Amino acid sequence: MPNMLHPFAAIVALTALTTTVLRADPAPESIDLSAFPAQSIDDVVVPVPSEVFVVLDKLGNPNWRGEMSDSLGKQTGNRAQVALLLGTVIAEGFIAVEAEDSEKVKEIGRRVLTLSKAINVEKAVLERSKSITDKAEVKQWLAVRREFDGALQDVKGAMQELGDDDLAQLVSVGGWIRGTHVLTSIVSKSYSPDSAELLHQPALLDFFSDKLSNLSSRRLSNEPLVQRIRKLLKSIRPLIGNDEGSTIPLDNVKRIHKLTGETVDAITLKGA
Amino acid sequence: MKKSLAILLSVLLAGTAWAYVDDALSFAYEAAHPYVKLGFSVREDAWGGDLGVKDRQAVQAQLFKGNEYWFCLGTDVKRAVLSINIYDSKGKLVNGESLKPGRMTAVRVVPERTGSYYAIVTVLKSPEERTGWALVYAYK
Repeated sequence: MPNMLHPFAAIVALTALTTTVLRADPAPESIDLSAFPAQSIDDVVVPVPSEVFVVLDKLGNPNWRGEMSDSLGKQTGNRAQVALLLGTVIAEGFIAVEAEDSEKVKEIGRRVLTLSKAINVEKAVLERSKSITDKAEVKQWLAVRREFDGALQDVKGAMQELGDDDLAQLVSVGGWIRGTHVLTSIVSKSYSPDSAELLHQPALLDFFSDKLSNLSSRRLSNEPLVQRIRKLLKSIRPLIGNDEGSTIPLDNVKRIHKLTGETVDAITLKGA
Repeated sequence: MKKSLAILLSVLLAGTAWAYVDDALSFAYEAAHPYVKLGFSVREDAWGGDLGVKDRQAVQAQLFKGNEYWFCLGTDVKRAVLSINIYDSKGKLVNGESLKPGRMTAVRVVPERTGSYYAIVTVLKSPEERTGWALVYAYK
């Protein structure tokens, strides 16, 4: 009998030892990221718009209705413009959710569907669009916000499945530009260094710049709108500070607001 | 021909890697489940791959001061032990509370600054040569 117990005891002892070793081997307090192999670093995880809106919720009570756009933009036959516009419209959806405007949210849900159809990813967002409408009807705002996050992911996923990764990036960039436009508006109106710090997104800017500089389609890369956005990202980069925690002054916030606003107008063909 | 073979191989390899991730993903979501009950929203997308024992992979993320996050890691490989640690852009450890390394593990982060952070995934031990892993995160 003791012989039978012996292997079991050994396993228990070994398990205990392994556990102890694992527990006694805490993560190093610091690591040298520059020594980390470049191939072991994935692309930057692009935050979903909700992550920014959750912080804004905590910062105060902005006048969201005042931030909504009157128009959801005009659509051309140009796929790059449609992809960018789709991103801005989804961002507009988040603003309408914050403003708790059911009708606008429903309108945006329908518009997302129309734009998705124009770039062949309608199926991917059909259910989302319906869900956005249903949940806006009963004013389940948190759920609507999640559906918009999901719509953005679904559209990008469907485009990647179709081999259209370039367009998927443009949807993200369009959403980021409109999101940054509204964020800078809110921060400018009740400026504090803490709220301005939300704009400190250097890795994200570098990531978008890199993606737009290395689009696989030369035709897409040469699109005037895409070229304009490359310049925009380059202009914004020095305005958001290099060091984490460094204060982003009000003037910089206003400058970013102006730059992103002009680009949103170009994407939505405002005044055209 | 070479090009076709290369494409075929890359498709097959990508397929294998994603099969790993698909299998691991349910464990990552399971690791995140307790935090949903605490009001966290789990992102619908995920990151993953496969690693050898002692290999590490970094996932760079933009985090916002004012939010709190749980990074949740899982694998479908029985008896595999994985760890997840979060570092800021200067390479300083910023882990909050965390679960011990295992088949499913998680770490909480409350960023003191808005900026870039690195989630470092490590396979500490595994009975397999390559261990598929998946990472999701939740925020509130």
